[in-house]
Amino acid sequence: MFLEIEHLTMKFGGLVAVNDFSVSVQKGKIHGLIGPNGSGKTTIFNVLSGYYKPTAGRIFFEGKRISGLPAYQITAIGLARTFQNLRLFSSMTVLDNLLVGMGHHGRTGILEALFNPVAVQREEKGFFDKAMSLLDLLEIADYARDLATSLPYGHQRRVEIARALATEPKILLLDEPAAGLNDIETQKLREILRKILDSGVTIFLVEHDMKLVMETCETITVLDYGKKIAEGSATSIRNDPIVVEAYLGREDVL
Amino acid sequence: MKKNMNITRGVLLGAAGCALLVFPFVAQNSYEVHIINQAGIYILISIGLNLAMGYAGQFNLAMGPLWGVGAYTAAILNTRFGIPFWLNLPAAVIITGLIGAFVGLPSLKVRSHYLAIVTIGLGVAINIALLNGGSLTEGAMGIPHIQMPNFFGYPINSDQRYYYLILVMVILGFFVARQILASRIGRSFRAIRDDYMAAKAMGVNTAYYQVLAFVFSAAYAGAAGALFAHLNTYISPDIFDFSATLFVLTLTMVGGMGSLVGSLVGGVALPILQEYLRVIQNWQLVAYGVAIMVVVIFMPGGVIELTRRLSSWHKIRLPWSIERPRDKTAGE
Repeated sequence: MFLEIEHLTMKFGGLVAVNDFSVSVQKGKIHGLIGPNGSGKTTIFNVLSGYYKPTAGRIFFEGKRISGLPAYQITAIGLARTFQNLRLFSSMTVLDNLLVGMGHHGRTGILEALFNPVAVQREEKGFFDKAMSLLDLLEIADYARDLATSLPYGHQRRVEIARALATEPKILLLDEPAAGLNDIETQKLREILRKILDSGVTIFLVEHDMKLVMETCETITVLDYGKKIAEGSATSIRNDPIVVEAYLGREDVL
Repeated sequence: MKKNMNITRGVLLGAAGCALLVFPFVAQNSYEVHIINQAGIYILISIGLNLAMGYAGQFNLAMGPLWGVGAYTAAILNTRFGIPFWLNLPAAVIITGLIGAFVGLPSLKVRSHYLAIVTIGLGVAINIALLNGGSLTEGAMGIPHIQMPNFFGYPINSDQRYYYLILVMVILGFFVARQILASRIGRSFRAIRDDYMAAKAMGVNTAYYQVLAFVFSAAYAGAAGALFAHLNTYISPDIFDFSATLFVLTLTMVGGMGSLVGSLVGGVALPILQEYLRVIQNWQLVAYGVAIMVVVIFMPGGVIELTRRLSSWHKIRLPWSIERPRDKTAGE
């Protein structure tokens, strides 16, 4: 019982984006979620992170029901996410982007901000050290003081991941982290995913780069038209005729 | 290089400090001091507007009427109950802050332009409430005979003396705002402005910080209101209508939305300019509208942004160049 999605259905008017979808993500693993464009992967992430209230179904995290909670509380419970199309805070440095993610651990409030700058500074120092160690982990510490959106695209992707990690999640939802990356950058990403996993964070991965998914994920769930059509190891998914058909004419991809 | 910078900065600050201290003595007449006093009051409102709009991206266009709430709070407490300025000031800050929270509630449902329209509407409602407050606000007649403050037996009863009170308040207001912005509150504000969805995903309680931004902005308007009431000793509802909001919006945008120094620059420049614009009377509002358009089109970020751009062309570092880099997209 780590992350459990039970019979999730998400409708937008007449459109059924996700249809009676259930999945169980195991702790300490990389779980892949794949499917053709428009199959509902990002919708599932948006429901998980609290942007949408599911039409039907429930989501549990470590036995606690999280469906229906506001997004910031879900983050506080331990789910963090990245975005498919980068959503870095454009006016901030790389460091500040991470510090925002740490804010919810903060204990200082308005009174401290006004009357106790020492307490604020002590807390900021702690945040700063943690942020720098995360930037080290993702090998972008040199850019800490640069404007986040001024970085090369591949590095911005890493900032997104670092920022999500800054919230100190138990599970990280990655929405197409390899999109737009070249082979070398994707290779780097693979190392990073491994490091994150080693640090004890579970990963739930949506990705179109089949090579990456097949090589990194222990379990893969395949989605088509909002329904789960297959689940299993990379080998079983690769040889599943239903999956091959869903990616019609793109057998070579798998 | 860095050391040189610090020395230049120190000299500039020292010179500015001296100039500020001796100003009432070198001014030609007390009217000039009066205008600068008004400017100080506008700076406070502008800092409030900047916190909400420039930093948190929350359009609070009820600032004029909220300023009125602060002024009326002080005026009523003083003329009815004889409560002195020093207690009316915090009372005005608290009451205006609370009303600001209500004005901020719609921000949880509507954003950007729509929020601007809703807050303008709420501002009009507040102004109408001041006008129709019966015996409490004395309607269109306004409230006269507000006492000027007394500092431990020393009466602050002239523009020259009031100048120092306002100077202290502006400096205090400026540093409080800086302190807020440097804490995680300020970072959460900017996160909400930059990307609302991402802010939520980063664990920022957006609803709380949005309302908080309104409370802060209203609190500044409240402080400015108490200062205004006790300086002018007479207030009436027509002072605190939408044109007051528009004036503060104009001076903040000309100075630099998203920069506290911008509030200082705009807050001093526009009230002085306004004196020269008196000849065109009612056309003043048109002038402000045109000024906003010119700023939005040709110098988003205002004078401060302009000086930054010029200094980076000429490779000069200005004392305020080290402030945060501005975002490319204003609003949502």
